[in-house]
Amino acid sequence: MRSKRKAAPWLHMIPAFLLIGAIIIFPIVYTAYISFTNMNLFHWDDYSFIGLNNYVRALFKVDTGFLSAIGVTLIWTVLNMGIQVALAFFIALGLNARGLKLARFYKTLLMFPWAMPAYVSILLWKVGIYNSEFGLANKLLGLFGIDKINYLSRNVPAFISCMVLNLWMALPFMIMTFDGALQSIDKSYYESAKMDGAGFWVSTLKITVPGVRPVMTPAVIMTTFTTFKQFDIIYLLTQQKGSLSGATLQTVITYAHQNAFVSNNYGLSAAVSMIIFVLIIAFSLFMNRGLKEEA
Amino acid sequence: MKRILSGILCGALITGLFGGCGGETGNVGANAVGTAKNESAADTAEEETQPKGEAQVIRIWHDGDEAIMETIAEEVNSILEDDMVSVQFEKKTGLTDQLQLYGTDEVNGPDMYFYAHDSLGTFAELGILAPITDLITEKDEGYLLPMTVEAGTYQGIQYMLPVYYETLLFIYNQDLWEGEIPDTTDGLYDYMTAHTDTEAGTYAVLNQHSTAYNVAPFINGFGGYIINENAKPGLNDAATIEAITYNQKFAALQADGDYNTINTLFLEQKAAAIIGGPWLISGINEAGIRYGIKSLSEFTLPNGEKLAPYSGIQGVGVLKYAAENKKDAVSKVLLALCDESVGVALAQKANCAPANQQSYADTDVVDNEMIMAMRETAETAQPMPNIPEMSVMWGPTESLLAAVNKSGEDVQTAAETYQKEAETAIADMH
Repeated sequence: MRSKRKAAPWLHMIPAFLLIGAIIIFPIVYTAYISFTNMNLFHWDDYSFIGLNNYVRALFKVDTGFLSAIGVTLIWTVLNMGIQVALAFFIALGLNARGLKLARFYKTLLMFPWAMPAYVSILLWKVGIYNSEFGLANKLLGLFGIDKINYLSRNVPAFISCMVLNLWMALPFMIMTFDGALQSIDKSYYESAKMDGAGFWVSTLKITVPGVRPVMTPAVIMTTFTTFKQFDIIYLLTQQKGSLSGATLQTVITYAHQNAFVSNNYGLSAAVSMIIFVLIIAFSLFMNRGLKEEA
Repeated sequence: MKRILSGILCGALITGLFGGCGGETGNVGANAVGTAKNESAADTAEEETQPKGEAQVIRIWHDGDEAIMETIAEEVNSILEDDMVSVQFEKKTGLTDQLQLYGTDEVNGPDMYFYAHDSLGTFAELGILAPITDLITEKDEGYLLPMTVEAGTYQGIQYMLPVYYETLLFIYNQDLWEGEIPDTTDGLYDYMTAHTDTEAGTYAVLNQHSTAYNVAPFINGFGGYIINENAKPGLNDAATIEAITYNQKFAALQADGDYNTINTLFLEQKAAAIIGGPWLISGINEAGIRYGIKSLSEFTLPNGEKLAPYSGIQGVGVLKYAAENKKDAVSKVLLALCDESVGVALAQKANCAPANQQSYADTDVVDNEMIMAMRETAETAQPMPNIPEMSVMWGPTESLLAAVNKSGEDVQTAAETYQKEAETAIADMH
């Protein structure tokens, strides 16, 4: 009877295990298996086990291009997160200012970029804002008699353009999270501080920042993670097949994509995927640890 | 009761989960084009077992224009009406990936596919294709343009039957172009310099100046190459560099060279001419532009050679298992596709340039300015390389063109950089 009771939860979990096994575990295990073979276009059916060869080749790719991609990724992550958190914090403060009319309307408007599919947003910006002939950015410059700029043809302007778009797309989430966190702070703290003569900066630093910190930490960590592995914006704005912009910006993920996934060499691509997989798992474990410490 | 319910739900979940792994029979989706009477391909595995009175359906996967496939299906099915064979086109997005997955799967895969010739080497290396010459004779294809047959041949074996082809054309707005169209590229450049105002956003001639396909007329014309038949990249070849350098001055007068940008500029009548393919024509007609066409092979380069664009040949390939098990029906379909009436129908209804030279005897075809321009271009056009290595050459080539035309990098330095990138990409394939 006792053993039946012990077995029952496991039996109930079998469908979930099967589902997880089929859609998560199996692809990972199969990718790992392929990574040890020479499966490619020229060995489609007759592939064989080649040991760690693909891993050696994948790691050999850690060349100057890869190192520069790591550098770009780090700068991208730090700048985006820094600006994002600061901007979102002050916008959220503004939205919570006393006496602000139509606050809900503004909040709804601010949610708009987040609600749009990323692919659509990116292409809209590419054509509607950054296009050298029809884009809003150049139209505005034209009003002031300034020459047209190709925003995506060189690395620095392209990096800034990608960052502006990333901020536009990511800010709503951060603003809304800050907004929620701000509303959870007891207003009586501010009244007491005011009576004690504290100004805006003192209340912000001594009450608001500590007050929002427990809510914001997980949000910031999660966003850091998604910013680090950002692919769509840089790829679609500058590297889309058939419409390369001229910029050669590479993050770790776009670099891996360019070097491993266009060759029809499934063994090598699988090895690169496994290395990225391990790196991401290590990164998330590190982040989770940070979260626990914060808690 | 709860236990029974949870048991049923678990059962349903497991059944649903593994249901997707089951074999797919009679895969006739909403995208199927044709007049098939028999909907199950699995049922037609052995033609000898066909019940009398039912047409044997040959399923053809494609990733192209539905209207073109419908035209082919109508024509072929009408030719094969008495043979009790019919074709049915099914659209499959990402056809290359689909054929990699289903190319050896007789139950779920197609009997034939319809696609551009530049992927031929990839499919041939996968070992999924049967030689066309096992199914029809050389005499049956005697009227096909040699350039198109060459495009369908990989390592000496013909795996694709060409049906129609496309090349780039010089399309101009008759209301905007002033005077005669020059016969030389230098003359064209002079016209561009005199009639382009980049700040005002008005242009003389537009081209996708950083797209490999669109710069190929210059590269080929100068005697350069993107990749040769031995899979050697030619980005740092002296003639390629000369061509890219020559194209650079044109690029400076051609906006950002992006497909959407230049197409919109031409449709908004802010450009007098565009170098583009027949796929632009429907949009140009909709915009009400009175257009004229000139073959690119009518333009002479400074070295005395003509512009030589790539040609893209569209045709059918036969999957090995279909060639083995449905040889008779597949042969009949191939013979029907060789008929000049298919080419005429494609020209009349879809503005396609037929691969069959006999189709050009038709007055409607002869009167079609665009098709005749492509026919003329076929004389200098070079089929895009069909070796598998070409698939990794687009990236480095376009990176090189973008670096030179958009980022202002030195041609020689960039050519060396992207030559190395191309060599690495090719090495990575093995």
